[in-house]
Amino acid sequence: MPFPDVKLANRPLHFIYLCDCSGSMAASGKMQALNQAIRQSLPGMAAVARDNPEARVLVRAVSFADHAAWHIQTPTPVDQLEWRDLQAGGITAMGEALQLVAAALQTPPMEVRALPPVLVLISDGQPTDDFAAGMAALLRMPWAQKAVRLAIALGHDADLEVLQRFIGSDPSPTAGRSPRRPLQASNATSLAQYIQWASTAVVGAASMPASRVQETPLEAPAGNIPLPDLPPTVLDPTDDVGLTVW
Amino acid sequence: MNWILPEGASLDFEGVAGPVRIVRGLGGGTQGQVYEVELEGERLALKWYLPACIARDRGLERRLGESIRATAPTDAFLWPIALLRASASSRPLIRIREESFGYLMPLRPASYVGASEHAAGRLAIGLRQVLRACFFLADAFHALHLAGLCYKDVSLGNLFLEPGSGRILICDNDNVAVDGSGEGAVLGTPGFMAPEVLLGQARPGADSDLFSLAVLLFRLLTRHDPLRGQMELAIRCLDEPARRRLCGEDPVFIFDPVDARNRPDPIEHAAALITWPIYPRPLQALFEQTFCRGMKQPSRRTLTGQWKQELARTLDSRVLCVSCDQENFRPAGGSRPCWSCGTPLPEGVSLTLPRGTVAAAPDNELHPHHFDALAGEDLRHPIARVVAHPQDPRRLGLRNLSAEAWSAEAADGRPHRVAPGESCSLAAPIRIHTPAGPIAVQRPARPAPAA
Repeated sequence: MPFPDVKLANRPLHFIYLCDCSGSMAASGKMQALNQAIRQSLPGMAAVARDNPEARVLVRAVSFADHAAWHIQTPTPVDQLEWRDLQAGGITAMGEALQLVAAALQTPPMEVRALPPVLVLISDGQPTDDFAAGMAALLRMPWAQKAVRLAIALGHDADLEVLQRFIGSDPSPTAGRSPRRPLQASNATSLAQYIQWASTAVVGAASMPASRVQETPLEAPAGNIPLPDLPPTVLDPTDDVGLTVW
Repeated sequence: MNWILPEGASLDFEGVAGPVRIVRGLGGGTQGQVYEVELEGERLALKWYLPACIARDRGLERRLGESIRATAPTDAFLWPIALLRASASSRPLIRIREESFGYLMPLRPASYVGASEHAAGRLAIGLRQVLRACFFLADAFHALHLAGLCYKDVSLGNLFLEPGSGRILICDNDNVAVDGSGEGAVLGTPGFMAPEVLLGQARPGADSDLFSLAVLLFRLLTRHDPLRGQMELAIRCLDEPARRRLCGEDPVFIFDPVDARNRPDPIEHAAALITWPIYPRPLQALFEQTFCRGMKQPSRRTLTGQWKQELARTLDSRVLCVSCDQENFRPAGGSRPCWSCGTPLPEGVSLTLPRGTVAAAPDNELHPHHFDALAGEDLRHPIARVVAHPQDPRRLGLRNLSAEAWSAEAADGRPHRVAPGESCSLAAPIRIHTPAGPIAVQRPARPAPAA
């Protein structure tokens, strides 16, 4: 006899990519690497979504170049997501992208009850429009304040200061890599690792609490969601044969 | 996935004699990565830790060593078998620079699926199997606690179920430590953590395990969370501070008989409202014991032995509705309508044993603890099983699963031999004599109305 056909009520978890598609992304295969990294991360993201019945993971993406536009406008369940390739060309309307996301995080259209959204900003350059206005519009939204905001810097020309402003202040005193600082991807392998980490470990942490260890400051969490460890630096066997470094 | 250990390669490790072939990567988390490996023709699982995890938990290696020496409390644990460190020849093949280690454990058979599949409603499983899984879970923690150990991090994420049998497996046993030692870095998983641990007022131990166990049992039995009711609906963004309020600072059981602030919402929390009434009052009372008095008083929480006893009794009271065939649990000395279709449950045949009564419904089993006052509840070695007649499912029999013959006594006093593996009809005999003890067949005074 079957168990009653009921299940735990779940909440939506909105995951939004903000992807830089400016002309410089066309150089050294960065655009292709980003498209590949996101596409390759989807099965793992779907598996995490499946393992977290308390969350309904919904994905969207904004692209920005001369203007910002929704690349995926409808919040899409990750197992139904097909990643169409982004194309590079234009300047860097990052501020406009933040305005678009701010509008989407207003209630409505945002649900009254949800899990903290996850926003991932990926950029290789400097905003060419009014970043500050976009950031201010975003942070007026309570859901954006609650959101887990991550940034991935592609190559060495990315504006780390702007990306840090997107993430918010960095409370961690130690040097080195931290999810509260821009993650610096200097080649396709590290980009794929960070995308995979954001779409699996972070989605997991935001949707269902993970095991907590002593060092996690339970009294004063660094954010409203404790972020998982960054992926380890796995030595890539292909490193020896010369890899494009951005 | 970026695998730290090279798939397909054979590596030498300190800690085992032969080379370990890395068959394939199975998965990875924030602690480490798990691989299927082969050692001397045997398939095992290998968990390899990330350096960050080792750095955080200084006692990890010693604790694992102690667990390996202590051996598994029951076969429900995917217990560490051996601690592995890379040998000098293997070290260059391991794709992280920092020193690391791992441990071997049994490989989880493919028939076991993650308990979150059940929580998500994606598993074809019956009430009997869910109750059995709950029993096996309580039984595993009973053995662990009796060994003086505590688990610390019970959650849906480290429990696996075999839907057909209700058997369970518990993984991630690397936080197991001697109760009260305060060792180890793990505090637990919010939502399953006891309030005093979540608030930082106590270290995880056997008492907080009892809270986490009750949450997990509740989640399995109701597909809902014991603390998510009206008070959750008042929370817009369910983040860490909100969970801390809901599960630590002001935790209220959704079915608290006194405090009605956190009742389930009829739409958002329908699962709890449908499933909770299915279970007998004594089982519900054990949840109240943990989630009401025991919420703030860890020593008052329901003990593993109490869970085992009541879950076994609940299984004994299982009957099938004559109208919709759904599984029900008949309250002792009373009756009630079927939870699914509302048809009154007729008084059926029951088997009275030296210790307890078992309703005669297909698949219900008799165990040594039904006969022997000294035997603890154990569902793994049934002596008898109620079976439906292959041609007429309404005719019930009792199959002899023991190794010795029984003698069934009819109303006229004549004995019939029931050899091992044979079944005797429950329509005629009034008593069955077994080497374990007598089985009295009780039929309702008036014949049950025809279905």
